[in-house]
Amino acid sequence: MSETETAPATTGASDRTIEITTRPRDVGEDARSMHIEDPVIEAQGLGVHYGHFRAVRDVTMKFGKNEITALIGPSGCGKSTVLRCFNRMNDLIPSARVEGNVIYNDTDIYAEDIDPVEVRRKVGMVFQKPNPFPKSIFDNVAWGAKINGFKGSKGELSNLVERALGQAALWEEVKDKLNESGYSLSGGQQQRLCIARAIATNPDVVLMDEPASALDPIATLRIEELMHELKDDYSIIIVTHNMQQAARVSDRTAFFSVDVNDSGMRTGRLVEYGFTDKIFTTPEHEETEHYITGRFG
Amino acid sequence: MVDQRTHFHAELEGLEQSIHEIGDRAYDMIQMAIQALIDDDMDLARQVRASDQVIDQMYLDVHNRWINLIARQQPMGADLRLMSVLLHMNVTLERTGDQAVNIAKMAELCHGLPGSDRIGQQIQEMGHLVRPMLRTAIESFIRRDAAEARLLPAMDEPVDRINMGMYREVVALGTDPEMLEWATHTMMAARALERIGDQAVDVGEQVVYLVTGELLDFNEEALDERGSES
Repeated sequence: MSETETAPATTGASDRTIEITTRPRDVGEDARSMHIEDPVIEAQGLGVHYGHFRAVRDVTMKFGKNEITALIGPSGCGKSTVLRCFNRMNDLIPSARVEGNVIYNDTDIYAEDIDPVEVRRKVGMVFQKPNPFPKSIFDNVAWGAKINGFKGSKGELSNLVERALGQAALWEEVKDKLNESGYSLSGGQQQRLCIARAIATNPDVVLMDEPASALDPIATLRIEELMHELKDDYSIIIVTHNMQQAARVSDRTAFFSVDVNDSGMRTGRLVEYGFTDKIFTTPEHEETEHYITGRFG
Repeated sequence: MVDQRTHFHAELEGLEQSIHEIGDRAYDMIQMAIQALIDDDMDLARQVRASDQVIDQMYLDVHNRWINLIARQQPMGADLRLMSVLLHMNVTLERTGDQAVNIAKMAELCHGLPGSDRIGQQIQEMGHLVRPMLRTAIESFIRRDAAEARLLPAMDEPVDRINMGMYREVVALGTDPEMLEWATHTMMAARALERIGDQAVDVGEQVVYLVTGELLDFNEEALDERGSES
């Protein structure tokens, strides 16, 4: 929807009128569901309940291939809940119920005959807190391939581990201590190890749930640089509380907000989805504007 | 709604207030400079120069505060657009002050020379056109009124017309060397007033950007409109 108003030019000889186009302040469905050709993942009417509690509702959006998409919004807006839908992580919460569809490779990943483990192989995940296994650096990365039935030789497995660690920008730092525990690494290195583990299964999509919020600024910047490099090979969806981080790394940004009903129940919803530079300079929706300028609550 | 960035927004508001003050000062300087030229009043010319030194200080102060805010607060959305506009307006209005000084300098060069009433009236007329332009630019900024800002290109047309005709007026004066010297300096003053009109239009473009997020070139728009009319 666009609004126009006509203002007469009152000064000068001309009697022309000037069309004033103002930004629409109330966006419709189009502003939330960007048109993306050949998306890697598409959410259609996605909603999540935990028991009787409706955590998030009516999320319809497409995610571009080889792009970084950031999900931002205040606490409780459902952005992490939505992220976890994309590799069926909510299945692991007994009371969780997902409605709507998540389409990946022309298939609804919530269809009855879909194996969630297979989904998670193609849609990997990196969490807020680095969570290496209590194993060697090598085994941390080799684990994903092994449980997915890797049939290659020991040499091929070594190549796979080296490639994943290389892609995660960690190889040079750990190549001489692959048998040491993953815990021996710094926090930033541990997170890059987890990224190496996630990409070792050769996924299409990597989900990142606040991947740098437990890291210092230098380690954070390394993760952000890494994301830029990884998007040549993977599609990345990141949840972040840090708006500047979303602005720095992402191609597109989705802003979620939260409604609170009379009983105090909070339900998240997608407010606006667009190119990141647009969202952070001239958002369409007033709610987005208020959030990014710190006027909310 | 609660403002979670009250400290930042207070500083941003203070920055905008300083820009209003620079604009008000530049506005007054234009009239003083024209009067200095028309009335051969050297006191007024000196006051214009002194006022410009204040603007120069304010310009530096705004610039330093602006850099600090960008570095420390990382504004987004409407705040970011406002920051961009404030930086642009700071430069533009400081230059408006410089143009007023240019007119005052011409007044000093014209001191004691015989002048032409007709050309003097045209300079006055340009002042009567240009000052409301600057006022419109600043008021539309304060009110965030894009429609008002878009009146500025049409307001600028008669200013350009008078300035373009100034050369013919000077030639028509004849051959008196002192009169010609006065007229040549006055023609430079007309040029400065024409630039001030352009600067008001620039501010208008910034106001439209602030309100709509679209950065337009009013001059190109006017050319497009003329093209489509012909």
